[in-house]
Amino acid sequence: MKLWVMLEGRDAEVEFHTEGERLVVEIEGRRLDADFRRLPDGEVYSLLVNGRSHEVRVSPGGAALDVTVRGATIPVEVRHPLEKVLQATRSLAGAGFDEVVAAPMPGMIVAIKVKAGDLVARGQAVAVIEAMKMQNELVARHGGIVSELLVREREAVRSGQALMRLKPVTA
Amino acid sequence: MRSFRRVLIANRGEIAVRVIRTLRELDITSIAVFSEPDRTALHVLMADEAHAIGPGPSSESYLHQDRVIETAVRVKADAIHPGYGFFAENARFAGACAAAGIVFIGPGPETSRALGDKLAARDLARAAGVPMVPGSDGPVGSLDDARAAARAIGYPLMLKAAAGGGGKGMRLVSSESDLEAAWSLTRGEAESAFGDARVYIERAIARPRHVEAQILADASGRVAFLGERECSIQRRHQKLFEETPSPAFDEPLRARFAEAACRIAKRAGYLGAGTVEFILDPSGEFYFLEVNTRLQVEHPVTEMATGLDLVAEQIRIAEGAPLSFGDARVPARGCAMEARIVAEDPRAGFMPSVGRIERVRFPQGPGVRNDAGVYRGYEIPVYYDSLLAKLVVWAGDRDGARRRMLRALDEYVLEGVHHNVAFHRWLVSHPEFAAGRLSTRFVDEHFRPAALDPGRETSEIALFAAALHEREERLRITLPPANGAESRSTWRWPERRRSGPRTRR
Repeated sequence: MKLWVMLEGRDAEVEFHTEGERLVVEIEGRRLDADFRRLPDGEVYSLLVNGRSHEVRVSPGGAALDVTVRGATIPVEVRHPLEKVLQATRSLAGAGFDEVVAAPMPGMIVAIKVKAGDLVARGQAVAVIEAMKMQNELVARHGGIVSELLVREREAVRSGQALMRLKPVTA
Repeated sequence: MRSFRRVLIANRGEIAVRVIRTLRELDITSIAVFSEPDRTALHVLMADEAHAIGPGPSSESYLHQDRVIETAVRVKADAIHPGYGFFAENARFAGACAAAGIVFIGPGPETSRALGDKLAARDLARAAGVPMVPGSDGPVGSLDDARAAARAIGYPLMLKAAAGGGGKGMRLVSSESDLEAAWSLTRGEAESAFGDARVYIERAIARPRHVEAQILADASGRVAFLGERECSIQRRHQKLFEETPSPAFDEPLRARFAEAACRIAKRAGYLGAGTVEFILDPSGEFYFLEVNTRLQVEHPVTEMATGLDLVAEQIRIAEGAPLSFGDARVPARGCAMEARIVAEDPRAGFMPSVGRIERVRFPQGPGVRNDAGVYRGYEIPVYYDSLLAKLVVWAGDRDGARRRMLRALDEYVLEGVHHNVAFHRWLVSHPEFAAGRLSTRFVDEHFRPAALDPGRETSEIALFAAALHEREERLRITLPPANGAESRSTWRWPERRRSGPRTRR
């Protein structure tokens, strides 16, 4: 079986062969012995690569699989090799997206520092959120003109909830 | 002298669990209180008794004075242990306990009033002749006053909430242009976290170390020094990593330091466990910062090095008994370190993280202690502090403790939320840390989020694992099981038979 694997801007084709009881993984011209066993708790595996022992957790993330190794969670996409060809023909969308400032965590909005129509610079503080007893300033990543405020002060927000929308300033 | 039979813990999380452990060892009934989202929190599971005190927000539960005291009276608690945070340094609460006939395990209301307020504590230290960081003599009333005071004291400076503590309500201001924003954030935090918007100014010392003295005082006026702790590794003025002894201390410095800390405690008529905080400048001079009239988060390092149980000592003192070791000097052995395991993302500005603990396996083995408040499946509530656990190690010397810490961090499995285990691994592996060259600027000076990026080997393991997982999934879909569903579940069979079809839950 052959799979196309992508992570953090890197991609590789991985091929599997079984040789008797052994499972051999081929990647970028290297051949490695792999032994992959699911632990009783479900999502966790013991992985031996050429005898080196690793404990990994594989869980479905958004579009990818989230793989946790030594506390680091790395999103990895695994596709059929044919999809590589399809993706290459797809073009990227153009620039000029609206920026949405979202709550990075659940909490309460204690201050909104801009109003609709304001011009906001890159990195400017636009709101203050309080969560876990700390107040944190939220900044505009790209900046632009505030086109819409979606929450009010003293409002409780969920993680990822959109707080305001900024329109890019066209040159 | 009385002895307690029932103690209520007015706290939650790892510290409530910590206190319950000592109560059990002392054969005292432990009584937990909990907010609605904490109904299944670890402290509720572990306590002998547990009582609801209101909804999630602290102000309606753990910080609701009437509900906590009413509950303590109703369940006939002899005493209340406040842990740290919440009511631990609240003089009004200590007074209300006394009025209700319940012993508050901590110093009396007069002491916590005199020391809990940072401005009053400065007056006391001045009177005791202990050196202090230059700053405003009292609270600063307005932004204009702050500007004027700042010009006199000089930048960089610290804005501090008079009622602050635990790193909350405190900001470094490096120049006048940052003063306005810092002023309103600090005032806002002071008002919402402590209900007291008073803010004062202190000069910021360049590259200071944060060192503190653990003291224990009994009713007969004995004040014991139990060693120092170095807590220089901080982010946002909150401690992340502590150790004892301080790598910056030698015996003459320790003797001067112990003497200054005990002088302040005696002058305040201190009772119970307390911490006198100082900053140490690069020349070896120390300046008084504040007194924390409570058990500190980092108390376990002192326990590891001295062999004492500080909660048990607190209880003895509150019962009116003398210190368990009397007038003897308590020797400290070896080196102990503590890493605070916090639900936050060091790769994204240490932003707090919430979620469900999907998987956990704590480190074990020689010289390791892990004080945790979480378990698998536990959902971290948004209302409270983000401290999940404290990993504490002990070894014969500093390098041994450092290696043991690294080993224990390698064993730490905690998944489902962002946390700082990888940050601690980076920290204890850093050559400057290994050399003991610490300051409260350490994280700002040395830490870059990219340092935590998974290395090439880790990425490759992730790649293999994802591919192998996908292969298994595809094989499972394409090849039906050879002999039906039975083959997959044979291992469950004996258990199912034992429990019977009706009693399965």
